[in-house]
Amino acid sequence: MSRQLSQRIAFTLITLVAGLVILPIMAIIVYIAIEGLGAISWSFLTEMPRDGMKAGGLLPAIVGTLALTIGTAIVAVPIGMGGAIYLSEYAKDNASTRAIRIAIINLAGIPSVVYGLFGLGLFVIFLNFGTSIVAGSLTLGIMTLPVIISTAEEALRAVPQSFRLVSTSLGGTRWQTIRRVVLPQALPGIITGIILGIERAAGETAPILFTAAAFFLPQLPNSVFDQTMALPYHLFVISTQVPGMPLQIQYGTALVLLTFVLSLNIIATLIRRHYRQKRVW
Amino acid sequence: MTTPGATPEPKIQILDLAVAYSDGTESLQGITMDIYAHQINVLFGPAGGGKSTLLRTLNRLNDQADVALQRGQILLDGEDILERDYDVIQLRRRVGIVFARPVPLPMSIYENVVYGLRLAGVKDKAQLDAAVERTLKQAVLWDEIADRLGDSAYALSGGQQQRLCLARSLALQPEVIMLDEPTSGLDPISTFKVEQTLQNLKKDYTILIVPHSVQQAARIADWAAFFLQGQLVEWGQGRQVFTAPKNRRTEEYITGRFG
Repeated sequence: MSRQLSQRIAFTLITLVAGLVILPIMAIIVYIAIEGLGAISWSFLTEMPRDGMKAGGLLPAIVGTLALTIGTAIVAVPIGMGGAIYLSEYAKDNASTRAIRIAIINLAGIPSVVYGLFGLGLFVIFLNFGTSIVAGSLTLGIMTLPVIISTAEEALRAVPQSFRLVSTSLGGTRWQTIRRVVLPQALPGIITGIILGIERAAGETAPILFTAAAFFLPQLPNSVFDQTMALPYHLFVISTQVPGMPLQIQYGTALVLLTFVLSLNIIATLIRRHYRQKRVW
Repeated sequence: MTTPGATPEPKIQILDLAVAYSDGTESLQGITMDIYAHQINVLFGPAGGGKSTLLRTLNRLNDQADVALQRGQILLDGEDILERDYDVIQLRRRVGIVFARPVPLPMSIYENVVYGLRLAGVKDKAQLDAAVERTLKQAVLWDEIADRLGDSAYALSGGQQQRLCLARSLALQPEVIMLDEPTSGLDPISTFKVEQTLQNLKKDYTILIVPHSVQQAARIADWAAFFLQGQLVEWGQGRQVFTAPKNRRTEEYITGRFG
């Protein structure tokens, strides 16, 4: 067999395998869209659920997921960015830094249901926040931290060391250098990481199961200390806990959740692409 | 200004300076020399001789590197800058540096020049504008780019970028300007412009430069110091060092027998 032929065969195989990666995601999106599109209507998005969730809309679940997403960001963004800046710009390579890194890696490996139990124990019971948006946001926020810290740290480290040296040589303090040069350059990467992190949180069920989600609550939350419905948990409930649930409502709910999460994903991709093109180094 | 023949006044006195990095790369051993005001002071010698280390010690950029050992004294106007509580931020404003490869910051030409001033808290627009015009003229760049100060600094050519970096250092009105092979990546015409600029600048500043070749060293040196493997082999007036070196190793290096 000639070298060119074997190269061509290898390329074809690799292309096919790469194509297989796209297949499942396309299949999921198309299938859910076909099955669920019929359920989507203005009232489906803006009304309270009725008849034991078999009719009406998703409004409280949509509002609840939005609230939890924003709450997750409020918890995770400052802590995550602070952690990333510390690790990238300030921390020396010593035992305590290594301990922090190991902690972050392990945080990423903990199953989400364990976060749920942790949130139940710490926020709901011990700190007495009750089953609430606050407790859910804190739980989801902690779960999101590793993603935000590692992507933000990577973005900060990608900023050339020479920029830091120049800024220092011109009389810049470490913080001035970070604020005026490093952070602006790393920001697109950091924002991408933040969106990808909270996007995952928005779709999680297990962490809010014990900390925030209500089975059926046909009203909007009045404060952050209220329970709330949320799209992923609602989907779980209507798919498994309610007999005789119309399939179309299940798929419609899945479609709304999928659209929300994918939109965040697309926004992250667009931001990254926009700034990559503008980058000069 | 000094008249020819008169002994120039030392701006910086280096006394028995030793520096070593923890990874054992470049180091300095027992360096004692003066850097004279209003002169072009040249540090030359083969790579790894400690020239860059000396520059980075002189404005304490080494503080951020992994320095295993540092002793001796560096007196700037008689004050030891290696003292632990010496104000390094102020020091770096008084002793500016231009690196071998031009590193414009990712912002406009204008913002690059005023970067150091903004860090120092200067907000007055007229003052910033004046600094931009003054330093770009000093760096012989003004005529080429005066009409596009808002453009990205990365739109400039390599030679222009290097002169921009020089202007950026000058904006802080430092007393000493150090240049680490500032023309290593430049074409002969840009190199000539930078050298001309240095000749113009020395009446107002103390200049300390690591040239990128022996030829350049010989062209511009008022005072020259030959570094070899972390040691100061010979130090004297440029004319003497390059025409009648006292040390055999200096002579061998200059005549191209090694390095």
